[in-house]
Amino acid sequence: MAKLILLWLKCIILYNAVDAVFEDQVGKFDWRQQYVGKVRFSHFDTHVQSSKKVLVATENNVFAALNTRTGELFWRHVDKSGPEGNIDALLHHGQDAILVVGNGRLLRSWDVNVGGLNWEIVLDSGSFQKACLVGQQGTVKHVAVLKKNIISLHYLSNGHQKWIENLPDSETVDYQTVYSGGNGEVYALGIVPHSHIVIIAYSTDDGEIIKQISVEAPWLSNIVASCAVIGQGVLICVDSATPSLYMYNLNPNMDDLQMTQIPLQSLGLEVAPDFQPVLVSHQPNSAHQPLSEFFLQLGPDNFLLLQFNNGQIVTLRDFKPALLVSFATTGEKTIAAVMSPKNKTASSINLFSAETGRRLLDTTLIFVMDPNGGKPEKIYIQPFLKKDDSVGYRAMVQTEDHTLTFIQQPGRVMWTREEALSDVVTMEMVDLPLTGTQAELEGEFGKKAAIQDGLMSMVFKRLSSQLILLQAWISHLWKLFYDARKPRSQVKNEVTIENLSRDEFNLQKMMVMVTASGKLFGIDSKTGSILWRHYLNDVPSNAAFKLMVQRTTAHFPHPPQCTLLIKDKDTGLTTLHVFNPIFGKKSHVTPPALPQPILQSLLLPLMDQDYAKVLLLVDDQYKVSAFPSTKNVLQQLQEMASSIFFYLVDSSQGRLSGYRLRTDLSTEQIWEVVIPMEIQRIVSVKGKRPNEHVHSQGRVMGDRSVLYKYLNPNLLAVVTESTDTHQERSFVGIILIDGVTGRIIHEAVQRKARGPVHIVHSENWVVYEYWSTKSRRNEFSVIELYEGMELYNSTVFSSLDRPHAPQVLQQSYIFPSAISTMEATLTEKGITSRHLLIGLPSGGILSLPKMFLDPRRPEIVSEQSREENLIPYAPELMIRTEWFINYNQSISRVQGIHTSPSGLESTCLVVAYGLDIYQTRVYPSKQFDVLKDDYDYMLISSVLLALFFATMISKRLAEVKLLNRAWR
Amino acid sequence: MASPGGQGGGALSTRGGSGARRMKWALELSLGNTRSRGDRQGGQGDVVYPIGYSEKPVPDTSIQETDKNLVEKRCWDVALGPLKQIPMNLFIMYMSGNTISIFPIMMVCMMAWRPIQALMSMSATFKLLESSSQQWLQGLVYLIGNLLGSALAIYKCQSMGLLPTHSSDWLAFIDPPQRMEIMGGGMVL
Repeated sequence: MAKLILLWLKCIILYNAVDAVFEDQVGKFDWRQQYVGKVRFSHFDTHVQSSKKVLVATENNVFAALNTRTGELFWRHVDKSGPEGNIDALLHHGQDAILVVGNGRLLRSWDVNVGGLNWEIVLDSGSFQKACLVGQQGTVKHVAVLKKNIISLHYLSNGHQKWIENLPDSETVDYQTVYSGGNGEVYALGIVPHSHIVIIAYSTDDGEIIKQISVEAPWLSNIVASCAVIGQGVLICVDSATPSLYMYNLNPNMDDLQMTQIPLQSLGLEVAPDFQPVLVSHQPNSAHQPLSEFFLQLGPDNFLLLQFNNGQIVTLRDFKPALLVSFATTGEKTIAAVMSPKNKTASSINLFSAETGRRLLDTTLIFVMDPNGGKPEKIYIQPFLKKDDSVGYRAMVQTEDHTLTFIQQPGRVMWTREEALSDVVTMEMVDLPLTGTQAELEGEFGKKAAIQDGLMSMVFKRLSSQLILLQAWISHLWKLFYDARKPRSQVKNEVTIENLSRDEFNLQKMMVMVTASGKLFGIDSKTGSILWRHYLNDVPSNAAFKLMVQRTTAHFPHPPQCTLLIKDKDTGLTTLHVFNPIFGKKSHVTPPALPQPILQSLLLPLMDQDYAKVLLLVDDQYKVSAFPSTKNVLQQLQEMASSIFFYLVDSSQGRLSGYRLRTDLSTEQIWEVVIPMEIQRIVSVKGKRPNEHVHSQGRVMGDRSVLYKYLNPNLLAVVTESTDTHQERSFVGIILIDGVTGRIIHEAVQRKARGPVHIVHSENWVVYEYWSTKSRRNEFSVIELYEGMELYNSTVFSSLDRPHAPQVLQQSYIFPSAISTMEATLTEKGITSRHLLIGLPSGGILSLPKMFLDPRRPEIVSEQSREENLIPYAPELMIRTEWFINYNQSISRVQGIHTSPSGLESTCLVVAYGLDIYQTRVYPSKQFDVLKDDYDYMLISSVLLALFFATMISKRLAEVKLLNRAWR
Repeated sequence: MASPGGQGGGALSTRGGSGARRMKWALELSLGNTRSRGDRQGGQGDVVYPIGYSEKPVPDTSIQETDKNLVEKRCWDVALGPLKQIPMNLFIMYMSGNTISIFPIMMVCMMAWRPIQALMSMSATFKLLESSSQQWLQGLVYLIGNLLGSALAIYKCQSMGLLPTHSSDWLAFIDPPQRMEIMGGGMVL
């Protein structure tokens, strides 16, 4: 019966397309979160006292202004990704923010208030070193840019170049930094490592060299790392070998050729072993000299506030232990902020007067560290003058896990931004658990309970649980009634980790996101609120991640279980992190120690007695270990071993190989395909998604016969690209290979084509996109595989028993845009028609019906093709604006799209991630199983009621009439 | 002279001078009238016959046979009814075409339903044909006619594509094949 209904549904949804959202549906099922990435430079906008902006330039090449009250974005500019858009420097003066972009390629000025571009100029080529603002007579008018071999000065107002000079001896001297003290001179500081420092003073007016000196410094190798300019132009350097401070006055009147050495011992200071001391100076205003006070870091947790006074260095204060220090200026006052650890979970920030080192009263701020977060890395202070002229401040703390926390005195967290989410690597969507009461009911009749209890107690349990259910239902009703009286905007459904529960149609899920920084997040898919976070602090920077769901929420009382495989690509060492995806807590299950590097993992559909799927890990000796590896599992594995196969693709050697599991958990290679490395290299391999269901086993032809699909679950699509990138000779290859037998099912070569190739492999089709170098356009190609008019074996599929090769159909199309990523929709039963979700570089997500990518589209329309609802072939694929599922909510730099089925057959949950995260639902065949939002319940029920009463009344009238007639 | 109402009800009396004296004419509805009793008593032997009554029997020659023929004819009519409808049905079929829309569907339903209904009430039809001598033959013809009618309806359904005779009609009932091998893996991490 159910199948019959499904058949009918299929008839209904045979032809359809996605409709765009209506205006009133905006934000109803979808949300977007915008991120900026790990902060590299940050400045508080201070030119207006009441300004609420903080400017951030990030490692993701984003320049943005954040609202300091809420943490939201005022504006954001996303530059090109990669080194081309890399932000080298951020200078901030008044309303202008000056950026140097792309290793000194561009100089840009932004208006801080509105985020508009003031001007942009292209700089001369050369590797960028340093930029600084140059002031004269109290006003800042210029910006100096130092490159490897040139120095140039630009006007701040329009970016025009004032002068440009070649740096002398730039082949031998490494010019590293530029400094201006506001006295009409610009100093370029260069170094010949372990020999001498070169100091060149240029005149601000015409770029004339005023003075050029070289100073002996055989102990110095890097100026930026170990030097700073303080006071009235004194270059101060620190040497860890001696250990001592060296000073040199840049003032041109002096002609010393030696640096003054002050041994640290003479100041009574000692450097922590193996620590390179660091100097921190501060120049409150570019038109004036820097402060003569500076920080010297002598150890990981030891800072000193020193003062340079008439050639003498005075220790103002010793901070130990201290984690971070920072200078900040408001008005005339400059303060030093020091963060020091308080206890394990909290640290305190205190303000000190920069001039005296005295502690300012009532300036303690407690920063509570998240136990699931990282250590603080940087601190940015926004000081302000209170009415009584005392200093108040807010602090922005950046932690190792790329989190920004904005705190107010005395420790109130105003907002946090999880910038790690700007770089999601992989994700999964996990069903939420049932509500507590439902779970209780299920647990009560679990196998354990039944054994322990007798009949009577079971009856009582049953009654009591029914009572609980009734109570829950009544309270639910009461809440509904209560909420209905309030206006809609006031009703808030706060989602917290405690009240998480699955909804009727399983539309709300837990998004488990793994970020490149090693921080894991659990996000509610309905609202986008972060429900848990967990920072793994020992994750290497170039780790490979693989996330697997070992146990879903369906096996109460066993908690759901996810396993994250983290592999360090350099050392090959692999660790497993096992956690509960709903609460983010680390599982008590201890993962196996993995002494050998792991090559791949394989999640089997086998379960152990606790319903956890078995994970097989293949190490570099091709030995297999199982997790969990209980006796039960090993026994099952022994039974199943002959039907467990796995494949490995080594792109560095161009080798695909297949292995079979032996009963002793060793492996045996059964096939190998070598793709010659000189000609082509393997770019990617795509299998089918394990949770994919295909409802229809074939396609109905116009003459009502069936063309059966070739649904090989073991099929792999291997993409290769030619090593020759010449546009005439480059090609893209697609190899369809059976992962069990290694049999090549089909091979297609796209000549005069180039990557990057985006590929989707599902059901019986493969869709891929490439750049055609011949026609200079993006093209889509689709391959479909069919068994023919008859099924070879309709009950079981075995790759080992497939004598007939499938029929292969292929067709190509022109696509008007480049694409960033591609994924196919996925639904519970696979009845709904499929769509391709295509992430475009413009930030749109296009939902393209698979119907348009169908190799059976005829060139000449016939009666039969019309019967099949085939669209006549047209080489161009259109982008229709109503196909964008994210309307105007552009997603910057889409990297991946994750699709997940919901409880409703019509609905597929979609998460697109990149710099931003966007979640929505798509209905590829419209909502055939749901009443519409604007369904008129009132009208229908009133009509029904009216009809009911009408029948009652007319029945009565008819009776009366009959009786009367009988009397007559 | 005679009232039309009197013809069936009673005898029209024209005899007796005394009655004629009093009124022009009278219709005697009841035979047991006091006045006519005297009349009857007066003429004991002769019976008052109704108008048009003849004492001599009229010889009946052909009525019996024609009746039988008529019944037979009537029964054949009944038996051949379904067959006669077939050309009509063919015409309707031709006219309605093979597209699936409400009117052709209604017609096909009618066409299919009528023979089935007839076949269901076969016993009633047999009762009708009981009086006929060729009852069994007629029954057979009737049955064949109806069967032909329903065959025609089925053919129509077939040509409209309503019968699940193609493999595509059973496609939805094919279960996905079971996997014999478990396979996984990927690029070397």
